[in-house]
Amino acid sequence: MKLRFALLWLVVGIPLAWGVAKTLQNAMKLFQ
Amino acid sequence: MSVEFPDGYAAARGDGGFFDRRQTIAPRGYNRFLVPPAALAVHLSIGQAYAFSTFNLPLTKLLGLTHSNPDDWSLAKVGWTFSIAIFVLGASAALFGRWVERVGPRLAMCVAACCFGGGFLVAALGIYTHQISLLYLGYGGLGGCGLGIGYIAPVSTLIKWFPDRPGMATGMAIMGFGGGALIAAPLSLFLMSHFQTPASNGVLEAFIAMGAIYFLFIMIGAIAVRIPPANWQPDGWVAPTQPGRLITTAHVEVDTAWRTPQFWLLWGVLCMNVTAGIGVLGQASPMIQEMFSGRVTPAAAAGFVGLLSLFNMGGRFFWASISDYLGRKNTYFVFFLLGIVLYAAVPTIGRLGSVTLFVAAFAVILSMYGGGFATIPAYLRDMFGTMHVGAIHGRLLTAWAVAGVLGPVLVNYIRQFQIDSGVPKAQAYSVTMYIMCGLLFIGFLCNLLLRAVDERHHYREPAPGRARADARHGTR
Repeated sequence: MKLRFALLWLVVGIPLAWGVAKTLQNAMKLFQ
Repeated sequence: MSVEFPDGYAAARGDGGFFDRRQTIAPRGYNRFLVPPAALAVHLSIGQAYAFSTFNLPLTKLLGLTHSNPDDWSLAKVGWTFSIAIFVLGASAALFGRWVERVGPRLAMCVAACCFGGGFLVAALGIYTHQISLLYLGYGGLGGCGLGIGYIAPVSTLIKWFPDRPGMATGMAIMGFGGGALIAAPLSLFLMSHFQTPASNGVLEAFIAMGAIYFLFIMIGAIAVRIPPANWQPDGWVAPTQPGRLITTAHVEVDTAWRTPQFWLLWGVLCMNVTAGIGVLGQASPMIQEMFSGRVTPAAAAGFVGLLSLFNMGGRFFWASISDYLGRKNTYFVFFLLGIVLYAAVPTIGRLGSVTLFVAAFAVILSMYGGGFATIPAYLRDMFGTMHVGAIHGRLLTAWAVAGVLGPVLVNYIRQFQIDSGVPKAQAYSVTMYIMCGLLFIGFLCNLLLRAVDERHHYREPAPGRARADARHGTR
């Protein structure tokens, strides 16, 4: 159950973190 | 057929089939925090809709590749695809809400996966044959159905798993719809550049790839999702014996709910909150460039839009979670009152020339826009109970379809009218901001008028024979 828990959260967490990081990179241009 | 114990738990899986609602009943000891990622898998996928605009320009250069040919689709024609998708989202959520409640989240998510993934493929066929009707039918029609069914599919399941924190639970899932755009925008650009060749700008291949990716991603959610056994409660949690005045322990059927004044007041609450936010979201880039002319570049404006998307996403989780403590009515009072103050302050902030204050004001406004979406399912649960909350939510989403038209039209047309009347571009948004204040005030009044649903609308147990039939069909 713990492995399944970790896997499921990673499956959704990794793409979300990637999207947030990319958006933050773009957002930084506003303050440059 | 699987066997169900008296306490609601299912025995070892029988021959009910993968899609049978009873096959999705969780086993004993199931960790309820496995359900939010299943819901997120769906919402992160369908949230792609918010990033559809990344395809707009490439779709106008399918024949010319580097520039638009006379035979290429115009931007206005392509722009209709998103509008159709959002309209179909609202319509399908309203139409299929009851069916989703009956068949359970797994089958609904599978259908959403087929519609949304299939929609991309039909749209790809439209791109290949250069028939815009197929693009509308595929992404707008079929994809829109996937959006609507996928949006409501996990909501009532989450509310049933988290009776102690319904706002947080639905906030987590609906946050995914905001987050989906953050993933889809860079993913679309990556795929188009990866598939670009001298003979293609990569849009066709990107549509096919995204159809396959999103189909698989939603199916992960469909496989993982579980519903709680009947009358399940979290360990150690006891339902309050005296819930708040606006929190019912009864249930209201969907066909009864939408005839109550409470449904239409909540419809007004959602519609006004969304109208105020969605118009700004669509015009954010030109607005900041025009209000701070010469100080904000197009690249910085794109960064502003990205920042608003982040606050839109974060606000969904933040405000919906806060509503579990503040109460739903108070949370919406905050949205409307703080929104009125911030919108009214924008023209002054523009005159002061403070980009930082401007960005901060809109960041908070967009967080409340997202928060409005994420808090409404828990508000519905408080007012109408959990029995048909998904179906009622589906019907309420028609407010989104209306706001999706009303918001951008108000912002765009009033701005244009102001400019045509000789108002400088930097001040052309002032009237719009005051109109947004007026809309938020209407929403405030709707929220103020909300009272508990009259007991005569509450669901009453049918005669024993009817109850057995309902149980067989999973309508409770």
